[in-house]
Amino acid sequence: MKADHESAFLGRVRKALGRPGGVRPAWTGLRGRDADAATLAELARIRGRSREERLGLLARLESEAVPLKLTVRRVTDARQAAQAVVDLVAAGEPEWGGAKRVVGWRHPLITALDLGARLAQLAVPYSESDPALEGQSSEDRRERRAALRREVADAFVGVTAADYAVAATGTLALKTRPGQARSVSLLPTTHVAVIYLEQIVADLRELYLLLEHDPGGKTEGLTNCLTFISGLSKTGDIEFIMIHGVHGPREMHLVVITDEAAP
Amino acid sequence: MMSAKAPDYRARARAAIQDGTLQKALGGVQQRLGPATAALYAQLPEGPGLRQTAHDLRMQAVMNLDLLLEALADKVRAAGGHVYFAADAQAATDYCLQVARDHKVRRVVKGKSMVTEEIALNRALEAAGIEAVETDLGEYIIQLAGERPSHIIAPAIHKTRQQVGRLFAEKLGIPYTEDPPRLTQAARKALRAKFLAADMGISGCNLAIAETGHITTVSNEGNIRMATTLPRVHVAIMGMERIVARLQDHQILLRLLSHGAAAQKVGGYVSFIAAAATPDQADGPEAFHLVVLDNGRSRILADEDLREILCCLRCGACLNVCPVYGKIGGHAYGTVYTGPVGAVLSPLLAGLKEGRDLCLGETLCGACQQACPVNINLPRLLLALRQKMTEGDRSWGVPAAGGRERAAMRAWSWVVASRGRYETLCRLLAALQRCLPRKAGWIRWAPLDFRGWTFSRDLKPLARERFVERWRRTKKTTGGRS
Amino acid sequence: MKVTLFVQCLVDTLAPEVAEAVVLVLERLGLTVTCPGGQTCCGQPAWNAGFRHEARKAAERFIALFEDAELIVCPSGSCTHMVRNHYLELFRDDAPWLARAREVSRRVFEFSEFVVDVLGVEDVGARFKARVTYHDSCHLNRYLGIKEQPRRLIRHIRGIDFVEMRDSERCCGFGGQFALKYPEISTAILKDKVANVLASEAQHVVGCDMGCLLNIQGMLRRMGSRVSALHIAQLLAQEEA
Repeated sequence: MKADHESAFLGRVRKALGRPGGVRPAWTGLRGRDADAATLAELARIRGRSREERLGLLARLESEAVPLKLTVRRVTDARQAAQAVVDLVAAGEPEWGGAKRVVGWRHPLITALDLGARLAQLAVPYSESDPALEGQSSEDRRERRAALRREVADAFVGVTAADYAVAATGTLALKTRPGQARSVSLLPTTHVAVIYLEQIVADLRELYLLLEHDPGGKTEGLTNCLTFISGLSKTGDIEFIMIHGVHGPREMHLVVITDEAAP
Repeated sequence: MMSAKAPDYRARARAAIQDGTLQKALGGVQQRLGPATAALYAQLPEGPGLRQTAHDLRMQAVMNLDLLLEALADKVRAAGGHVYFAADAQAATDYCLQVARDHKVRRVVKGKSMVTEEIALNRALEAAGIEAVETDLGEYIIQLAGERPSHIIAPAIHKTRQQVGRLFAEKLGIPYTEDPPRLTQAARKALRAKFLAADMGISGCNLAIAETGHITTVSNEGNIRMATTLPRVHVAIMGMERIVARLQDHQILLRLLSHGAAAQKVGGYVSFIAAAATPDQADGPEAFHLVVLDNGRSRILADEDLREILCCLRCGACLNVCPVYGKIGGHAYGTVYTGPVGAVLSPLLAGLKEGRDLCLGETLCGACQQACPVNINLPRLLLALRQKMTEGDRSWGVPAAGGRERAAMRAWSWVVASRGRYETLCRLLAALQRCLPRKAGWIRWAPLDFRGWTFSRDLKPLARERFVERWRRTKKTTGGRS
Repeated sequence: MKVTLFVQCLVDTLAPEVAEAVVLVLERLGLTVTCPGGQTCCGQPAWNAGFRHEARKAAERFIALFEDAELIVCPSGSCTHMVRNHYLELFRDDAPWLARAREVSRRVFEFSEFVVDVLGVEDVGARFKARVTYHDSCHLNRYLGIKEQPRRLIRHIRGIDFVEMRDSERCCGFGGQFALKYPEISTAILKDKVANVLASEAQHVVGCDMGCLLNIQGMLRRMGSRVSALHIAQLLAQEEA
């Protein structure tokens, strides 16, 4: 039973479109479609890219990243990736003063970097944005969320993975899942994302095709919050002078693992 | 809401033209963005036809709006969100205030949203004792200054760094600086505290996707991500027409609107939001409310000639190329929506009771349509509006224009209906013009409506003999002088 | 080949020399030119102001006068656009008139478009030693898509030194009645155009629409500048004796 506000509203829309009451047009444009032959061929082409083609995409991504002030680093394996993160933490300084703190996603790739242990050697605390919220009361959840928010807000480096990277636009696509908090790529001054070479696609068109048709993605969908990040936060609002790091991160690094494949 | 009466509009335009700082800022915006957007369109891999494809996708959505809105609402609700269909500004603000009360909201942070300006949401929140802080840097600046935005994408572009420096020194209590990085840092710090302390975040909706049940927001600063991630409650206000059917449609529109808005390949941050955080997610709002707004749009939808304006994505590309906007800036329009799109939309949202100057004060040069990511035929819409305001329109309740203009047009019509009358009038005017002051053969001053011409330009005098008469004299003509 | 001249009211009453130049060029190219003696106005002023009824009356008269012509040539982009495109909107609800309008619409050409696209000529045998620049009128450029044809014609003039000015495609601020109704805005826009003309250091600015040319020339004269605004036909009519 539709609420009054909704029936009246949609009634006005239908009337404006000249449709007699309650008549739906025979338009199936909304129905989710299975991939047609052309799309399947396209998906196969994307997935079947050679290593050389993938390295070509990485080169494209590196050049697109320059004006976006996104720093791209190539590493051969997860161990080197972890070292790259540690180096960034060692070199950086907290923007808002206080002690250095790092927060990261609970994600297979990030967890495998073992950042907790490595950063302990620098005496830098590391926490995962893992709420362990299932089965807890809403009171406990709220408390845990508040504590997590403080951790993320106090962290000067946030470490995430990504679902895809787009070469043509320097974009990272990040879905939201338990343990993969949105604020980790947003609140800390420096955002570091770690991905595998295979995750790089050519352009936004390919990204959307995969978002829609990738088997893993099909069950979970886009999730309740999908974010595209293309470089640093920026503005030109004062006299058109481009300034980076407005509300989001002031520094952004993408670490690409080239010689290992995603498990 | 609107105040574009004749004397006010012209007076505001005059003030803007005489404002050297504003002129420089407007020139800067247009020089930077106009050609850069055109260059991106020229490089579209799908070719220039993509803008028309995007147009067709948007029109298809508009023509199936009831289906798409229902599908969107179903999905949002299935994901645990709330959807409210607001008939007008009052309904929308009342609902937002109710949500604020239900969630004990005292502090709000806002992303840039033209539709929230349209419904004067900030005023309603403040009247209820709720602090509402604009977080887009440009909007933050003008909020501190108590002004309205002068541009859809760069709301404070009319302000110099010195003006911003003085404003921040006064309102934020920081030592005076006119260094934009330091000013931005001050705003970054002040607003970070606001984001972390806010109870509710309000955003607009750039485009909703019916197929998946998401709204999308686009920004470069990150403020919309902050406002929709950190506070307990997220309210999104959406003009009812801001929707596309399928995820794949969004791909095309996202690219084109990024080109149009800031000459970018893609906006810096794009968020697809379907619902509040699930219980097992670490952050995100506890509640998500989507407010779908009519406020005059269904009336526009009902008009076959004018509904095309509902394709607009509010990217501001038309402002970046319009010669009129380039001289008078946003404030001269006196309305929330300015530039070419505002010249069409503002009168329509006001029920065609106001806004004559907005739609007459355009040269119909067509640069707007060329710049529009969805190829909206703005010149055609302006002409259609002029017709309705002149000939009258029953469905809009507009009477036919009368008075001096109608009389003049009737007279003109009578004269051009006969070559004989036409020539007689020309001969009469050619004789009268001998009284007018001249320099080097051209007229220096002419009366009545022609004063507008001669205040800045010399006027070529009427020829002693019309070409057609000379032709008649010297050669054979086809047809007589009927 | 026979062509019928659609003079345009601004040319007819204010700049008949432009029509003389059009005829001269077309006759030099071997065409026979006729000119309906009853023509007055295509109705554009009424249409732009929203007076559809009055615009229609003028359009009906125009169609009656010109519908027997095989080819219609007009030295104005905006009037060509009116007849070619807006007439079809004007008569959209009236099938018999729409058919007649369509016929006329098919056969009307702007002057430079006619010479280059219909006659296939880019060198009309003109000679003019001067530095000139070109202003793209809005209707001609954006609505009719005519921007290369005038340039090709200009480049083939012997002795010509052609320079592009900055923002040649930007509106000059004329906009028909706009210039009279919103003179301050019109003037502000025009100032930029005139500045660009002067910066090109051309002796003449060339265009295909009298409205724009009168507008630009009006301010140049007011400033005391010697730079003149010429219709492209006037340029093409020049030749050494």
